[in-house]
Amino acid sequence: MLRPDQILSTVEMIQKENLDVRTVTMGINLLDCRTGEVATTCANIEKKIQALAENFVPACDRIGRKLGIPVVNKRISVTPLALVGAGFNRYDFIELAKTLDRAGDRAGIDILGGFSAQVDKGLTESDREYILSIPEALSVTAKVCGSINIASSQKGINMDALAMIGQTIKDLAENTRDNGGFGAAKFVVFCNQPGDNPFMAGAIHGTGEADAVLNVGVSGPGVVARALERLIVNHGAENLLLDDLADEIKQTTYRVTRCGELVGRQVSRELGIEFGVVDLSLAPTPTVGDSVGEILRILGVDAIGAPGSTAIVAMLNDAVKKGGIFASKAVGGLSGAFIPVMEDSLLAEAVGRQELCLEKLEAMTCVCSVGLDMVAIPGSVDAETIAAIIADEMAIGMINNKTTAARLIPVPGKEAGEHVSFGGLFGASPIMPVRNVGKSKRFVNWGGRIPAPVHSFKN
Amino acid sequence: MQQQMIISVVSKDRPGIIADITGAIFALDGDLADLSQSILCGYLTMTLIATFAPERTTAEVFGKLKALDTAKDYDFLVKTMEIPLKNGGDALPEKTYIVTAQGKNKSGMVYSISSFCHQRNINIMDLSTTLKGGQYTMILQIDLSQVESIIEVRGDLSRHAAEHGMKVMMQHYDIFRVTNEVTLI
Repeated sequence: MLRPDQILSTVEMIQKENLDVRTVTMGINLLDCRTGEVATTCANIEKKIQALAENFVPACDRIGRKLGIPVVNKRISVTPLALVGAGFNRYDFIELAKTLDRAGDRAGIDILGGFSAQVDKGLTESDREYILSIPEALSVTAKVCGSINIASSQKGINMDALAMIGQTIKDLAENTRDNGGFGAAKFVVFCNQPGDNPFMAGAIHGTGEADAVLNVGVSGPGVVARALERLIVNHGAENLLLDDLADEIKQTTYRVTRCGELVGRQVSRELGIEFGVVDLSLAPTPTVGDSVGEILRILGVDAIGAPGSTAIVAMLNDAVKKGGIFASKAVGGLSGAFIPVMEDSLLAEAVGRQELCLEKLEAMTCVCSVGLDMVAIPGSVDAETIAAIIADEMAIGMINNKTTAARLIPVPGKEAGEHVSFGGLFGASPIMPVRNVGKSKRFVNWGGRIPAPVHSFKN
Repeated sequence: MQQQMIISVVSKDRPGIIADITGAIFALDGDLADLSQSILCGYLTMTLIATFAPERTTAEVFGKLKALDTAKDYDFLVKTMEIPLKNGGDALPEKTYIVTAQGKNKSGMVYSISSFCHQRNINIMDLSTTLKGGQYTMILQIDLSQVESIIEVRGDLSRHAAEHGMKVMMQHYDIFRVTNEVTLI
């Protein structure tokens, strides 16, 4: 048997710190479902998802019970729908979205991602139709999430698509006005989107993947926060250096990731579906004690957004990656620290206290693992300004060879300082002020592309 | 055919115990197969398995150990093993779980949990307990192979522990292995 202290530290991690596996996401290739017309394509999609995912939720629950670690979310990601629906029009795409919603319902999963397109260099006619379908497709479906890869380090930023997306996000929010513009929370814009990310709203089943694959998302900002607190109490803050804190984060992440790896392997074995990657991301939830903002505070800033916040996120993100990489056979997805404002109660509070502004948040996204995530902005912000905010975020990813994303929610009829709440995992937050609104129109209206950066030429 | 004996030794811990015992076995041409020892509050307990030529008797082995200069320090037990030794050691059963139970120290705590296990045909494979600041902690490694519903055991165990003023948790052993060992399982 292992040493008692080893056993007890694992017990603490599970019992006191609410360790869970955030998600097991089944990636499903839908390219072989396509026929020449939409009705049969939809039927094939439903059939394929049902066949592969029939035992998915019960298997996750069974393994979770056996191991005593709950799998909180069971999700599905599919091949970007713009590829599956090549040649279809916007109404067909809405039908495809409804089909995904029904299939997800039948499988009993929580949420489904992949109403997506890859347009980092150019738009096909189908891609345009897909974009035009988004405001309705994502507002009439409950479980379907969408994403679009609009930029990459290899190809630059597609500004034509981005101009369309600014308006699309506004329309999507407007279509879900009664619910605070919630539709926009189900749609995310990417630079360098990974094809194996299990987290929503940006999960897709990339084109380089096998027919079906399981990816696991482990989280646990609470576990890391408690581990740091314990270290500080046991050793005294005066005896600790930042490297000691980084090491603690690394070791804790290792242990958390290993649990995800174990669950993933066992579900994979039970279903006979290939195990893809573990995504070891600190993804906060609105629950108290499950916050990345709290880790920032423990690590030394009294206000989130105060000078030093970016450096702390950089250290945190790096330590999380280092701890996780060794723990898993294959690491993928986003892997790092998320700073989604609405989903993290401390980040949301910092917005309310005007300690965290959009510009500082953008700076922090240069070193976090995703980007401007779940940021509620005034509904009056114009489409060009939204597109320009996203362009800035895409540029960070493009130049730094990293994934960045933007999930902005222009809350219809509300202004900065007012409050919006979506409930559940999507959380709540005061609306963040946007400065210099309406001053980026000429830039966005150029259209075309921001060419691929010089470091893309590695051939 | 070679015969296997199991030898158990209890002694106050000091340097030279393993050398004494293995020396005696070596002198009888015995071959050491497996050995496990632990020290508890300054006392050493050791169990070892050795193979001997067919004509050797347990009395002979016992006699040789008793003839050691330091024999007065030891308590011995020597038995012939009925089940032949398996090569490669014993793999843990698939349904190996760890139960940790913590509570304010009082007598009968280990009995309470162990009788719970006994009633349900649950084998306790390993047990360690510690007492710290009036808080008693038990860690049991158990085999649930003979149990039909693990969920039921989990529920029963929580109720049982609550009735006896203990906090209890039961997790699969794999969780502890993956979080504490480097190799993947």
